[in-house]
Amino acid sequence: MFAAPWLVKCAAGAAILLIACGFATAHFGSGLQMPATTTRDGTLITLSRYLREPVPDIVLVGSSITFRLKEEYFATPRLRNLALAGGSPVTGLEIIANQPRLPRLILVEVNVLARSSDAELVERYSRGDTGPLLFRPVRAAVAAYEQRRHAPVTHEQVALNLRRLVEQPPSDFDSRIYADRALQQFNAEDPTDAARFNANRIAELIRVLEKRGARVLLFELPYSGPIESSRYAATIREIIHAAFPDSQRWLPIEVDRGELRWADGVHLDERSAVLVTQALERALALARTVK
Amino acid sequence: MTFTSWQFGIFAAIVFAAYYLPALRAFQVQLLVFASLFFYGYGQPELLVLLAVAVFGTYLFLLLALRDRQVWLPVGIVFNLALLAFFKYKLLFIDPASPSLVDFAPLDFLLKLPLPIGISFFVFHNISLLVDLTRQKAAPPTLTSVFLYIIFFPQLVSGPITRAEMFMPQIKPKYFADIPFVEAAKWILAGFFFKLYVANNLNEMTSYMSFPLYETLQTQDRWLLVFLYSYQIYADFFGYSAIAIGLGLLFGYRLPINFNLPYISTSFSEFWTRWHISLSTWLRTYLYVPLGGNRHGIWRTYLNLVIVMGLGGLWHGAGFSYLMWGLLHGLLLVLERPLLGRMASIDFAAFRAARMSVVFVCVTMLWIFFKLPNFDHAVGYLTGMFTPSTNPNPTKLFYSLALLYSLPVMIQHLGFRPLAEGRLRWAEPYLYGSMAALTYLEAGPETSFIYFQF
Repeated sequence: MFAAPWLVKCAAGAAILLIACGFATAHFGSGLQMPATTTRDGTLITLSRYLREPVPDIVLVGSSITFRLKEEYFATPRLRNLALAGGSPVTGLEIIANQPRLPRLILVEVNVLARSSDAELVERYSRGDTGPLLFRPVRAAVAAYEQRRHAPVTHEQVALNLRRLVEQPPSDFDSRIYADRALQQFNAEDPTDAARFNANRIAELIRVLEKRGARVLLFELPYSGPIESSRYAATIREIIHAAFPDSQRWLPIEVDRGELRWADGVHLDERSAVLVTQALERALALARTVK
Repeated sequence: MTFTSWQFGIFAAIVFAAYYLPALRAFQVQLLVFASLFFYGYGQPELLVLLAVAVFGTYLFLLLALRDRQVWLPVGIVFNLALLAFFKYKLLFIDPASPSLVDFAPLDFLLKLPLPIGISFFVFHNISLLVDLTRQKAAPPTLTSVFLYIIFFPQLVSGPITRAEMFMPQIKPKYFADIPFVEAAKWILAGFFFKLYVANNLNEMTSYMSFPLYETLQTQDRWLLVFLYSYQIYADFFGYSAIAIGLGLLFGYRLPINFNLPYISTSFSEFWTRWHISLSTWLRTYLYVPLGGNRHGIWRTYLNLVIVMGLGGLWHGAGFSYLMWGLLHGLLLVLERPLLGRMASIDFAAFRAARMSVVFVCVTMLWIFFKLPNFDHAVGYLTGMFTPSTNPNPTKLFYSLALLYSLPVMIQHLGFRPLAEGRLRWAEPYLYGSMAALTYLEAGPETSFIYFQF
C-alpha cells in the first residue's frame, strides 16, 4: 500500500477532531464540571470551581474529614467548601492566599496537620490554570449527561430530606474493622515535625490573610473516642492549641457526640455530617455577631 | 524510559533517523544494540551489568552447546533460570529493607538490586536462543546478532517473546523503502490508543480494587471493577505489544502477534491461543512438549497442563496469588478437556455465545489474583462480591464513563461488521486519525504498563 495518502488522511482525521475540540473549548470554556473518578480529580474540580465562580463570603479548608460536609448541608448562603480529600488544609489556605480577592471569613480545619502542602497544586491554581488546554470530548459528554441527571442541588432543595435524615436514629453500621485499622495507623504515625511545620505555616498565612482584611478561624471536627485519644490526634491537638492559644481564634463545635457515627472512626457518616454542619453553622452565627 | 514518555519519542526518532542513513547501513545491528542498551540503562544503568552477564553467559553456553548439546544446553538453561529465580524469588527469603543482608559485599549488592525490568522476557529469549540454534545445528551467530535478538528495545521489557528461529533470519540490511509505514502506523496508533485512552483511564477506576479501598465499594461495583480490570489488563498489554510490533516494523523486524481477540474464546484452551500468544507458545514449546505434552496418556496430560500453568503463574511473580491464578487456569483446562469434542459438535450461535460468556467470566474472575497479589486481599475482594455491602458512604463510580472507556475493547472483540467487510475501508485512515486525537485529548493519568512488573 502506498503510504503517503493513507498517512495524510490519518493526519487529517486527527486534525479535524483536534480543531473541533479547540472550537468547543473556545465556545464552552471549562464551564462544564467534569466527573471525578478519583479523590485527586475531585480536588481539581473543587479548586477549578472556586477560581471560576464569584468569591464567596465564607470558605472552609481542610482534609477529607471536612470534605464530607457538603455545601448543600449548609443553610448559610455564599459558603464554599474547599476541603481537599486526601489533602492538607494548608494547600487550600495557600491557594486562597494567592488569589487577588479574598472571602470575608476562612474556616480552617486542623485535624489533619501531618500532610504537607501540595506545592504543584498550589502553583497551578495560583496562576489561574484551571482547565485543560483542549476540550475532552468523552469526559465532557459524560459530564453533560451526569449534570442532566444529577444537577447540583441547593440547600433549599435538600432541606426536607436533611431534616428527615436527622430525625432518624443514628446508623447501626458496624465499622469496628475499619475503625481498628484507622486506630492502628493513628497510633503508628508520629506527626510531631509535620504538625509543627504546618502550624507555623498556618500562622504565617493567617497573618497575611488578616492583613488583607479576611478573618480566619480554626475548627476541629470530632473523631470517634478511641481515635480522639490516639497518638496522632493527641499530638496534633497539643501542637495546634499551643500555637493558637487564644480562644477567640477557635470556632467551637458543640454537638451531642452520642448522636455521631463514623464510617471508619475518622470520617463522619452522612447523618453525623449534617449534625456537625448544623453545629458549625450555630457557632458561625455566634462568631459573626462577636467580631 | 517507557513507550508513553516524551523521552522515548525523541529517542525513537533519533534512532530511526540514524538507522536508515546510507552511511550507517553497515552498522545497523550495532546501532540497534547500542540504542537498546541506552534504552535499558536509562534511569537504571547498574542493571546493564546484569544484562551483559545474561547475554555474554548465554552466548558462551551457546558456543559450547553447539559443540556438545547434551552437556551444555542444560547448563545454559539452568544458568538463565538461576538468574530469573535469583532476582524474582529472592524476596521470599530476604528483607531488602535491612541494612546488611550478608557479610559478603558483592552478594549484598546483588541482593539489594531491584527486580531488573524485563528479566522474565529476556531470560525466555535466552533459552529460546539456546534451544533453537543448537537444535538446528546452525553456525554460531555473531555476538552482535545475539545481543540484538535478546535486547532489541521494542521487545526487551515486555515482549512479545520472539523465538530465535523467527528473529535471527531477519537480521540483515534494512532499507527505508521497505518499511510498511501504514501497517506500522496502525499498530502504533492502536497501541497508544489502547494504553492511554482505555487502560490508563480505566486504571483510575480499578485503583479502587486495591486493599483497603475496595472495602468502600458496593457489591455491584466490585463486580463492575473486575470486568473493567479485565478490559484494562487487555488494553494495557495489547497496547504495549502493538506499539512493540509497530516499532519493530519501523526497524525492519516483524515481531509475533501477541493477542488475537482473546475475550471471544469459546474454550480455555482457545483462550491460551489468543492471549499472550508468545508466552503460551514459549511454554508449550519449551515446557509442555518436553514434559511429554499429551503423549503419555490422559492423566499425565492433565498433570502436564497443571504444571505448565502453575509455573506460568509463578513466572509472573513469587506470590501465592500468581500460583493460584496459574493452577486454577490449569484446572479449567483439565476440566474442559474431556468436553471439548462434544461441545465442538454443537454448532449454533446461542451455544457459542454462552460458551464465550462462561470463558470470559471465568478468565475475568481469575484476574482478581493478578490485581491483588496478596492472597488474603484477593479472597477478601472475592468474598465481598457475594455479600451485600453495608458501607453507608460507598465510593461513587460513573458507569457511563466506565462504558465509554471500555467501549474500544468491546468493539474490537465483537467486531464492527462494515469495517471488517471492507465497506468502510475508505474511512480507516480517518478512524486511526481520530484514535490518535482521542489518545491526546482523553489520555488517562500516566501509569506504567502492568506487565513491566513481570
